[in-house]
Amino acid sequence: MSLIIKNLTKQYNKNKIGLTDYSITIDKGVLGLLGPNGAGKSTLMKIIATISKPTEGTLFLDGEDIVQNPDRIRKVLGYLPQDFGVYPNLNAYEFLEYIAAMKGVGGKDLRKRVDMLIESVNLTADAKRPIGSYSGGMKQRIGIAQALLNDPKVLIFDEPTVGLDPEERMRFRQLISELADDCIIILSSHIVSDIETIADEVAIMKNGMLLEKAIQPDIIKKVEGKVFETLIDNSELNTIKTKHLVVNTSRQKDKVNVRYITRANQPEPGSTTVAATLEDAYLFLTQTN
Amino acid sequence: MQYSFTLLKADYLQRTRSYFFLITLAITVYAAYSFVPPNTASYTTLSVPGYRGAYNSAWVGYVSATMTTVMLSLYGFLLVNSGIKKDIDTEVGLIIATTPVSNFKYLLTKLFSNFLVLLTIAGITFAVSMVMFLLRGSGYPFIFADFIIPYIVFALPALFLVSGLAVVAEVFLSKRTILQFIIYFFICGAVMANINIPKPGIPTAVFDPFGLSLVTGSIKNQINTQFHEHIDQVSFGFIFSSHHKTFRTVVWNGVNWTSIFIFSRLIWIALSLALVYLSSFFFHRFDFNQSISKKKKALADNRQTEIIDLKPAPISKGPLPAIVTDYGILPFIKTELLLLVRKGSKWFWLVSAVVWVAMLFAPLDIAHAYLLPVIWFLQVTRLSELVTKEQTYRLHYFTYSSYKPLLRMLPAQILAGVALMVVLALPLIGRYLLVFNTFAVINIFCGAVFIVLLAVCLGIVSGGKKLFEVVFFMLTYAVTQKIRAIDYLGATPHESHTGYISVLLALILSFGLISFFVRNYQARHL
Repeated sequence: MSLIIKNLTKQYNKNKIGLTDYSITIDKGVLGLLGPNGAGKSTLMKIIATISKPTEGTLFLDGEDIVQNPDRIRKVLGYLPQDFGVYPNLNAYEFLEYIAAMKGVGGKDLRKRVDMLIESVNLTADAKRPIGSYSGGMKQRIGIAQALLNDPKVLIFDEPTVGLDPEERMRFRQLISELADDCIIILSSHIVSDIETIADEVAIMKNGMLLEKAIQPDIIKKVEGKVFETLIDNSELNTIKTKHLVVNTSRQKDKVNVRYITRANQPEPGSTTVAATLEDAYLFLTQTN
Repeated sequence: MQYSFTLLKADYLQRTRSYFFLITLAITVYAAYSFVPPNTASYTTLSVPGYRGAYNSAWVGYVSATMTTVMLSLYGFLLVNSGIKKDIDTEVGLIIATTPVSNFKYLLTKLFSNFLVLLTIAGITFAVSMVMFLLRGSGYPFIFADFIIPYIVFALPALFLVSGLAVVAEVFLSKRTILQFIIYFFICGAVMANINIPKPGIPTAVFDPFGLSLVTGSIKNQINTQFHEHIDQVSFGFIFSSHHKTFRTVVWNGVNWTSIFIFSRLIWIALSLALVYLSSFFFHRFDFNQSISKKKKALADNRQTEIIDLKPAPISKGPLPAIVTDYGILPFIKTELLLLVRKGSKWFWLVSAVVWVAMLFAPLDIAHAYLLPVIWFLQVTRLSELVTKEQTYRLHYFTYSSYKPLLRMLPAQILAGVALMVVLALPLIGRYLLVFNTFAVINIFCGAVFIVLLAVCLGIVSGGKKLFEVVFFMLTYAVTQKIRAIDYLGATPHESHTGYISVLLALILSFGLISFFVRNYQARHL
């Protein structure tokens, strides 16, 4: 299964562009989308989820144009939007059965399926309560369960770990790994460590354009040998900021430990080279492009 | 003061930057145009049996101000009574609650914001009234004061009062929208009914919150004096009639304002402010837990403990049963009905049940013309949410990305809505079937489809609930007043049943098509 996106442009109005001539091929596995706010991640996901029409360009799922025939992907789609809601008067069973009806999932085993999904996201004890009384994390888990109702072949998760506690986040990552063998998973997150641990490939976006798409080691290579750390006085920080791309600072008594990427391969005296991470590469690509 | 102005400005802009408000303005222009009917029209707006005013500046200006006051007193409340609710829904209220803005200042901002919204609408009717004078003018001179003074002296104070009452209603009845409508409707009805009743020894106009009795009294006195009549009633509103095709023309030059009347308007304005001030002591300030009973609170605390005690199990998909595809709409209808039933307070079901039982025993014409529109109107918040709830609860991402949403979801919502309305009309349908009156049954059924499709269409086009709620209120009021042209449920006899049904079916079809095409666009353009 593959999703081919060709020359996608989304223009909301004269002054607002969501995507510009965006092309990418997505195969089975997990694709992590990284980018600052307004990079076009949600726009791309909405277009793939068929709830937004591109101004130009095409999307093919296994060779079939899904801009013209959106129902082709809808049958196999699992989508968790960033700011979704629920009907507060329904309980978890009723809500998931309703979503199942939308996805065309029925039959006598539906209740069992819903039951198992509720159990898998650890909501059995609260399943008969109105969802309106759930906490943010519980609602997010209901969102994850609904995305899996129809055994999706294309899964889109827009900021899926928002509201989940660290333990739930870890479990969510395990779930993604479990699913990645036989479907396309597109996942966006502001938390680079989430993408780092889950994604097979990473796509970095900025201003509606694709800056880079590759497997993680290839992306990290872009900054290898350029990342340094040094301990300085607080007063020197601004000088370093003007010369290098500072990616992190941490206070250590009266000093500041600065992690930076050098632009001209001229590190500060006394700096030590450190191993580059995806976060370094992401910041380097988005700040320098 | 500067902060209050900023708050007021933001609130006003938030309310007026919507499709709903644009549609309201369009309707206002049409309504203002119809306030001054041509001589050949089959209706009047300010009516004295057998008489009609010459279209001079005073008549056109006062009629326009009177009609604006009447219309905005009735429907203006519905237009503006959700200012606080909006802050609850958007959770902006929680931010406001943490700021130093006092309850009174906040409510005062809402009062002025309500007033500005109504003032904008009144401004349009005022402008159109001058255009209408030029269009309908009969050679009388244009006197600007005749247009502006009635607006300033009685229309604006009345709108200020309506704005204040809307705030007070929201403070005390919070989200109970239907109850607010009903109580306000009765208060307003009582005030309007008293306008033409003179009370010996009491200056009626002073105690008339809308200030209309001075105008009606002045017109009445002039006709009685000039034509030696004994007319005791002046009607206002859209009055359709095939009688009185020939009218005697009366040249009326306006009202002589008394200082006591003008002072009384200031008193009404002060009363509005006082009511808002008093209500500020009872304002929830977006802390709803304070109104939870101890029992409920204890229950909530227990639940909280349960949640904390839970030991989370791993999120894992595991081996799920095989998928069985089913693209039918029955599960949707089931859920839509469930949502309709669970929506709103249980007390309203009790009220509906009482009206439902009353329809079994009341005389047929009463049950059809009064009880049926009332029981249907009690469902206003259910119907207005039929197609807007996905966006309200941000579920439209799921709906629009589902398989064939327009062919499955939309029909299911319409069918659920119609089923609810038909079930509520069952006592009447049963009684008509017993007397073999199939026309009446068809009328009721078409009326149910019409009102549901109207809710769907206005909800989809405006993207909100308010427009339908206001229109439904106006329709219900018109039906209970037996205005034949607006009788969508066939409660009054029509000259041609086929013609009536044809018009209704054409409207139903139009609403259906508009809804389909607009939603089709919306589903792909989030």
